[in-house]
Amino acid sequence: MTDLVKESSTQILAREMALTEQSVERRRRIVGLEPDDLARIAGIREVVLAQVDHFASVFFDYLSGIEEGRVLTNNRALTERARELKRSHLIAMVGGDYGRAYAEQRLELAVLYGRVGLELRVFIAAFHRLLRSIGEAVMKSTPQAPLEAFASFMALKKIAFFDIGVIVDAVVFERERVIRQQQDAIRELSTPVLQVRARLLLLPIIGVIDTHRARLITDSLLKAIRANRAKVVVMDVTGVATIDSKVANHLMQTVTAAKLMGASVIVTGLSAEVAQSLVALGIDLTTLNTIGDLQGGMDEAERALGYRVVSMDPRRDGAPLSPG
Amino acid sequence: MSDSVVVPIERETDIVCARQKGRALAAAAGFLSTDQTLLATAISEVARNIVSYAGKGTVTLQTVQEGGRRGLSIVASDNGPGIENVELAMRDGYSTGKSLGLGLPGAKRLMDSFALESVVGVGTKVTMTKWLR
Amino acid sequence: MPVPVLKQGSVLIASIQAALSDRDLVELRDDLADRVGRHRSRGVVIDVTALDVLDSFATRTIRSIAYTAKLRGAETVVVGIQPEVAFAMVQLGLSLDGIETALDLEEGMALLQAREAERVG
Ligand SMILES: Nc1ncnc2c1ncn2[C@@H]1O[C@H](COP(=O)(O)OP(=O)(O)OP(=O)(O)O)[C@@H](O)[C@H]1O
Ligand SMILES: [Mg+2]
Repeated sequence: MTDLVKESSTQILAREMALTEQSVERRRRIVGLEPDDLARIAGIREVVLAQVDHFASVFFDYLSGIEEGRVLTNNRALTERARELKRSHLIAMVGGDYGRAYAEQRLELAVLYGRVGLELRVFIAAFHRLLRSIGEAVMKSTPQAPLEAFASFMALKKIAFFDIGVIVDAVVFERERVIRQQQDAIRELSTPVLQVRARLLLLPIIGVIDTHRARLITDSLLKAIRANRAKVVVMDVTGVATIDSKVANHLMQTVTAAKLMGASVIVTGLSAEVAQSLVALGIDLTTLNTIGDLQGGMDEAERALGYRVVSMDPRRDGAPLSPG
Repeated sequence: MSDSVVVPIERETDIVCARQKGRALAAAAGFLSTDQTLLATAISEVARNIVSYAGKGTVTLQTVQEGGRRGLSIVASDNGPGIENVELAMRDGYSTGKSLGLGLPGAKRLMDSFALESVVGVGTKVTMTKWLR
Repeated sequence: MPVPVLKQGSVLIASIQAALSDRDLVELRDDLADRVGRHRSRGVVIDVTALDVLDSFATRTIRSIAYTAKLRGAETVVVGIQPEVAFAMVQLGLSLDGIETALDLEEGMALLQAREAERVG
């Protein structure tokens, strides 16, 4: 399990997509590949190998011939690489071995298509052209036995559909990864942990908290406590519209976890209504250190850290400050 | 199948072994370290129950796939005395071993799915899964 | 592998190593109880930085170490609980009620010193 050899990006993708020997076997079964087919493919092997360059050209000529295909063919370096991969793809297609390694080799092209933004429907159309010209060559090779030739071509077509399956899955997976990353970034932005001064963190919570977000908040706060060696955290919930029992439980868990790490949490911005409804829900807030407004909470935090809070207005010293 | 591991649980050092294997499998499956810790903790709880109440048994760890999502499944099974009242055993604070009584209900909270089957005199089986988010 | 215990002034420091077995923990409890009495220690620091899992059993044992030490006149601070471990503990439903915690060894020592100063002053 502790593989010291560094994984390539396609290997990582294969792992993330769970492209295991089992799942590849399942894919073979889905396209209906049978031992018979392998024999038939072997029979047309030479026909395909003889014209690998030609078939690859059919694919790329189609792409460069249409607007949507030029996202790839306008990039010369990538097209060269893609052509190389397509050639080895064609060779492997008639190679007889369609295991995990074969499926994994299909990923590099998929990633490349995704990178240049080649639409799947365009790829599929180009691949169709390529298959058609293979079909023609196969039919032509044995004019005396057209039914045989047709059956052989249909066997190869199963491999083609196997390939399309892998490529479509990979492109979709990559696209979803981008979405996932964006979602994470948005979530992170909405739960900033701010270091106010040495050992003091401010966690302003804004918006709707669901279970997933609550977890992220807890996670980032706990890591920030360790990274900043924080001793006191002010958690401001002024921006949280409603706190139901579930959210309250999450907040309590966060406070408890912070405490386990040695940091104390001051909760501010809990309105009277919210506090009352929580009490009505039977949630015990007595263990929480709550302070009305953010300013009061910050003052309390600084006191806890041993800083003296000096007010410019002596009359206001120690008295609760107005919000804002 | 390479991604399934059976860890025999006979003494308490096996508990550590089970959770280390679990963490390694979870990491290989792509779980983030926070989730690896949750998994290792849940494994620790069910493995310990085997040692404490059944004497010996096994913990089986396996990466699973279902409808496009992936996860890690943990099965702890033993042929021990079984649990008389399963509902009670799942309650926070219920313990016949003068412990905290948090192992089973806590493990359930750490995982996405959790099932406890037990027959008195036959044995106990805990099946739980956590999915990659 | 027994847990090494270091004596620093009036404080005992136990640094728990990674793959700790249950027996090690139980032995630590008995060992600490004994040493607190012998050295008249005022404080015990349990450093769990290296632990990647704190389950129900470990938590219970740490709690009982703290209560035992308290009965013998020493305050216990648990230091170094990792963020992920803390998260797993609260999800499990575990807490260390009534036991001091601190970020790391240094903080733990400072906390014990402050407590001692309060007590003497
Ligand atoms: N494998 C098992 N075989 C027999 N009984 C079991 C088994 N696992 C759990 N139990 C019973 O279920 C009860 C609850 O288990 P749970 O793990 O929740 O708490 P605990 O082990 O008593 O305490 P903790 O896990 O918090 O240290 C146990 O006290 C025991 O009676
Ligand atoms: Mg238990």
